[in-house]
Amino acid sequence: MSAETRTPLIRLVKRTEMAKGKVFGIRVASIVIALILGCIPMLLTGTDPISAYGVIIQGSLSRPIYIKQTVKIAIPLLGCALAIAPCFKMRFWNIGAEGQITMGAVAATYFALFWAESVPHVVLLAIMFITAAAAGGLWALIPAFFKARWNTNETLFTLMMNYIAIGIVAWLQGGPWEGRKGSQLIPMFQDSARLPTVLGVHCGWIIVLALVFIMYIYMNRTKQGYEIAVIGDSVNTARYAGMNVGWIIMRTMFISGAISGIVGFMIVSGANFTLYSGVADGVGFTSITVAWLSQLNSFAMIAVSMILAVIEKGANTLQTRLSVPASIADIITGILLFCMLSSEFFINYSLVFRRREKKEAEA
Amino acid sequence: MRKITFVLVALMLLSGFAFASGSTEEAAPADPNTVKVGLLCIGDENDQGYTYNFIRGRDEATEMLKADGINVEWVTKFNIGEDATCTDANIEAAEEGCQIIINNSYGFEPFMLEVVDEYPDIEFISCTNCASAFDGRDNTHNAFANIYEGRYIAGVVAGLKLQQMIDEGTIAPEEAVIGYVGAYSFAEVISGFTSYFLGAKSVCPSVTMKVSFVGSWSDATAESDAALALADQGCVMISQHSDNTTPATAAQSRGVFHTGYNNDMTTIAPEASLISTRIDWAPYFYEAIKAYVNGEEIPQDWCKGMADGAVVMTPLNEAIAAPGTAEKVAEVEAGLADGSIQVFDTSTFTVGGEELTHAFALDTDGDFTADSEEAVYDGAFHESVFQSAPYFTAQIDGIEWLNAAY
Repeated sequence: MSAETRTPLIRLVKRTEMAKGKVFGIRVASIVIALILGCIPMLLTGTDPISAYGVIIQGSLSRPIYIKQTVKIAIPLLGCALAIAPCFKMRFWNIGAEGQITMGAVAATYFALFWAESVPHVVLLAIMFITAAAAGGLWALIPAFFKARWNTNETLFTLMMNYIAIGIVAWLQGGPWEGRKGSQLIPMFQDSARLPTVLGVHCGWIIVLALVFIMYIYMNRTKQGYEIAVIGDSVNTARYAGMNVGWIIMRTMFISGAISGIVGFMIVSGANFTLYSGVADGVGFTSITVAWLSQLNSFAMIAVSMILAVIEKGANTLQTRLSVPASIADIITGILLFCMLSSEFFINYSLVFRRREKKEAEA
Repeated sequence: MRKITFVLVALMLLSGFAFASGSTEEAAPADPNTVKVGLLCIGDENDQGYTYNFIRGRDEATEMLKADGINVEWVTKFNIGEDATCTDANIEAAEEGCQIIINNSYGFEPFMLEVVDEYPDIEFISCTNCASAFDGRDNTHNAFANIYEGRYIAGVVAGLKLQQMIDEGTIAPEEAVIGYVGAYSFAEVISGFTSYFLGAKSVCPSVTMKVSFVGSWSDATAESDAALALADQGCVMISQHSDNTTPATAAQSRGVFHTGYNNDMTTIAPEASLISTRIDWAPYFYEAIKAYVNGEEIPQDWCKGMADGAVVMTPLNEAIAAPGTAEKVAEVEAGLADGSIQVFDTSTFTVGGEELTHAFALDTDGDFTADSEEAVYDGAFHESVFQSAPYFTAQIDGIEWLNAAY
């Protein structure tokens, strides 16, 4: 067989550097296409797409209370995206943030329920913060240890750890921490176990913004951040350079889990004021999208998490005002994410058609 | 940085839509005879059970109010979780101009109470729960109905059928076993299945009951599985305290009988389902909304029963019910109305082999154990007298709890 017949109809070619304007154009186009495609499910359910988009923006940004609600949704998304970024940079696929958030929330809740009477406000919050970080970190350390020691598959391992964590909460909810018997509800936190609000939103937003800077410096300006990047590029290079890969994996996962744990603390203490098995509410998974869309850039994560929060909050108002089923909003979110992620694909790769290539070869 | 600029531009694009669309902000209606009411639901109408029953009540009440010249604008939100999404839904409804906000599920209340102080002018109602009425706030309310009366009658219908099967020799007296699919081992459920059992026992003395808890108010598959398992363990009659119709279809598939809750299930399982009982929320919605419009207080803790139309029986499935059932049902209904029949008559059941002589109704110190108001007096346990939400939690003899983990 000749080389020519084996050439497939379409091939992917990695692009070299693309002009900034063109990159920008592709990204804007992806959003526009997403907005147009998003009209289809709306039209199918008999909703006017223009007013629907209007309601989404109004419902998320038009009033101070709505902006507060939107920021409240963005906080855990941003925090958790920051948490998983170092793992992904290292090409360690931590999809267990959901469980790490949950375990952080469990630790914080323990102190909120049983220490609220005996410990002053600030001290209690500090204890909850530290124990939540430790619990999330230790939960993440388990799969990291197995990866470092026996090279187990971290994707499956971290995923399974999620269900264990959620199961633990379900048991606590119906068992030792249950309030009224049979209710499956853990009592609401007392005021001393609640995060204070700053500008109308729980002060978790200050914590995550601080984390944005810390993570940026950690990833770009420290030796540990450099080690993570090297392992991500090539484990063998890292070994050759004398890095202890197993140790770095465990250290990075602990940090990642600890931040997720802090997110869990902020969710229970700042937003929910109680614990239930759905405490992480998919944040651990959605934040993967946030991290990926931001190309692991801490500052970009602020914007991406806000966009997702705007859609989520706006979709809620969409349901209230226009009786659009909540699932339609999920579909629109999915379309938007799909288009944005595929735009990254077209920025990094170009499609080469067989015929065109032949012409190029002739020329 | 490029990325951020890009995202900002995208946001501006989106806000362009908002202004171009010209959709207006929502607010409370200006007309004094129009009232905007939020109804937050745990499921949606497709459950053909719990939430469907609320929607039915909503629509009936709207018609009743319209006849009085009151227009209701409903904002109904479906599939709200018993979690912080409920807090957000209450904020959302309040901000969208609702003047009354009704929370339809038990587990909504603590999350609703997080919001109420921010909106002192809005009336918040938590159906089936018990904290709002006693929290000292004027704008929080509870409501429930004496559903135990309806369950007692459904139990009578079931008992008559079982007795008929015994009399015809289809089953031995000791094989008259009821299987009950319950949500949680929780007062409302315990009160419900106990009243049902006592209804059956009043006409079929040899009856016993097995209760299986599924750990969810609404989980169609788990409810079905529990019903099938109960049938396989020899239960010949299935009843339920859960939101779906799957126990009815499960009963039919095993060739056993069934009585339902929330909705008439005879069309879904015509060979199995005998009758259902349901709360009719229309009288309450009517009363509460009318009071609001007239500037009167919405009752803090509303509870009415069969006599007031708040609890109703669905049509009896005459084709499979035991002969004489309709007459007996009418007789028991009259007895309940005039007080000659007490559902929890302490002479009709025992707890640990002894008659129940003492049980508290209310929890006043917040430790989730009842500690005040004696509910046992005049030879009966008085349910839903001291508060609308049920408080009967005794485990009576003849009812076996298969799993109390939930």
